Amino acid sequence: MSALLAIAARSAWNRRGTLVLVMLSIALATALLLSLERLRSDIRSSFAQSVSGTDLIVGARTGPVQLMLYAVFRVGGATQGIRMDSVRAVAAHRAVAWTVPIALGDSHRGHPVLGTTTDYFTRFAYGDRQPLALAQGRAFAGTLDGLYEAVLGAEVAQRLGYRLGQRITLSHGLGAAPGEAGGDHADKPFTVVGVLARTGTPVDRTVHVSLQAIEAIHLDWAGGAPLPGMSIAPEHARKFDLEPKQVTAVLVGLKNRVAVFNVQRFVADYEAEPLLAVLPGVALDELWSVIGLGERALLAMSGLVALVSLASLVAVVLAGLNERRRELAVLRAVGAGPRHVLVLLAAEGALVTLLGALTGAAAAAVAVVATGPWVQQRFGLTLQAAAPSAEQWALFGAVLLAGMLASLVPGWRAYRLSLADGLTPRT
Amino acid sequence: MRTLACALTVLCLAGPSSAQPRDGVPAMKPPLAATPASAAARAGEARTITWEALVPADWDPFKDFKGLDFQLLDDGDPRANAMLKKMRKAWDDAPVNPALVGQLVRIPGFVVPLEDGKEGLREFLLVPYFGACIHSPPPPANQIIHVLPRTPAKGLRSMDTVWISGVLATGRSDTYMGASSYRIEATQVTPYKEPAR
Repeated sequence: MSALLAIAARSAWNRRGTLVLVMLSIALATALLLSLERLRSDIRSSFAQSVSGTDLIVGARTGPVQLMLYAVFRVGGATQGIRMDSVRAVAAHRAVAWTVPIALGDSHRGHPVLGTTTDYFTRFAYGDRQPLALAQGRAFAGTLDGLYEAVLGAEVAQRLGYRLGQRITLSHGLGAAPGEAGGDHADKPFTVVGVLARTGTPVDRTVHVSLQAIEAIHLDWAGGAPLPGMSIAPEHARKFDLEPKQVTAVLVGLKNRVAVFNVQRFVADYEAEPLLAVLPGVALDELWSVIGLGERALLAMSGLVALVSLASLVAVVLAGLNERRRELAVLRAVGAGPRHVLVLLAAEGALVTLLGALTGAAAAAVAVVATGPWVQQRFGLTLQAAAPSAEQWALFGAVLLAGMLASLVPGWRAYRLSLADGLTPRT
Repeated sequence: MRTLACALTVLCLAGPSSAQPRDGVPAMKPPLAATPASAAARAGEARTITWEALVPADWDPFKDFKGLDFQLLDDGDPRANAMLKKMRKAWDDAPVNPALVGQLVRIPGFVVPLEDGKEGLREFLLVPYFGACIHSPPPPANQIIHVLPRTPAKGLRSMDTVWISGVLATGRSDTYMGASSYRIEATQVTPYKEPAR
């Protein structure tokens, strides 16, 4: 048997040009399948990791998925804010343990700015109920003296090279355009007082300021743009009433999670304002049911790519049969049975598949390691360079199995060729 | 006002004088078939229970509403609204069935995820019918079970049906709805299958 394998390997080496090409195509297909699976599971877990310990998210009435997307993932925008007295009413519900209001809508060089209270740093949790931690400095004070203080997510600080004490200006709206575009809050610069430790969640990309600061920078924006001749100096802003009248959403924690439906119903039936409360887990599952379709289509596509490469393997080995008639006939003449020829060809196909799949797996691993930092920076998604998951093993196994089955086809063909067929010289 | 109309209809139907059984809240009938409790009552084995069993047999949510003729009330009637609120409160404070607390039970239901992690669901609520969170008034406290699986349950989504088994306990009594809610540290969470007939 091992002699046969050696013959197969040496014979394949003789025709290495085409076989290497086939191997590469199998490698590419395998890499595609494996990295797609990795991406799929990592996106899922990174989404699921983004919020923990928050029982309800309350916002203006939109769709549950949309509310979840903008309140947690900073994707899309709110259709409307919610009034502060509604927030207080929710907070006063006897089942509610804590509320953290958040205000979105401004940005700093493309990074979303989140106005919130100091409670955010103690209440908000991610992953397995891990609280936010400060890598440097402290949380913003939340007082008038510390009005223009900002706390950066790890990604913001790293990407823009900011340190404690850095002065930054916020932009109105979500564009990345600097001051020239006009939508700037340049008159009221902020000082960085803290940098959060990395979480692998959208928090990393966020600039955190107090709700009062959000009010202050919009004091002279009454008409949706800075009013000409009416600018309020930063220090004067402190004299105004900076209590927020409106926020974008509220994160709610309950004393007892069983009460979640009651509070949800209370919010939905709240008469003074149309509100919506979503359970983060339920909204996420809703999102998956939408994304799941696309996911499956992608996986099916890469499955097809794998099939095509295996088909090309069969085609190449089959085409090779013609040039190998002599070789096979000589083997038969020196005593090899048809079985041996079958094994020889199947082994060749299996060998090429195995090498291809291994190369592909290695390429997928290298790709994850190499693009990990870029993906993290660009999309805030943490790719894990971890051991293959069960699903990845399954895909790897499927490629190998399919390759071996496919190599039986040329093997069978050779098995049927008669000895005389190869020995008869053709003119 | 449709909610009110529905709720009042339920009340009328379920009044003690009607033919409906009194031990359960009629609107909360479990659509999932559970095999009768007597099937497996051997020691050490989980007893399969129904959602009705979670309501104490002697609890009558309608005792405060006796002698009222709902036909006389319009939807907009403030007395009707007041009554609806009162009813809601009665349901929120629905007591647990003391006979079941501390028992090893097995019960089917729908999953409402609370904490999702890398390894799977670490916390979820089990409810007796599909869509319990959105479309209808929330189920009474004793029809919701807070489930904490021993090992995170993988591959579960909202409103998947599962069997869970574990020792039934009550929630912390110092919180709202606490004394009247169930929790289970589930030793087993398995996908629901129709019982063989």
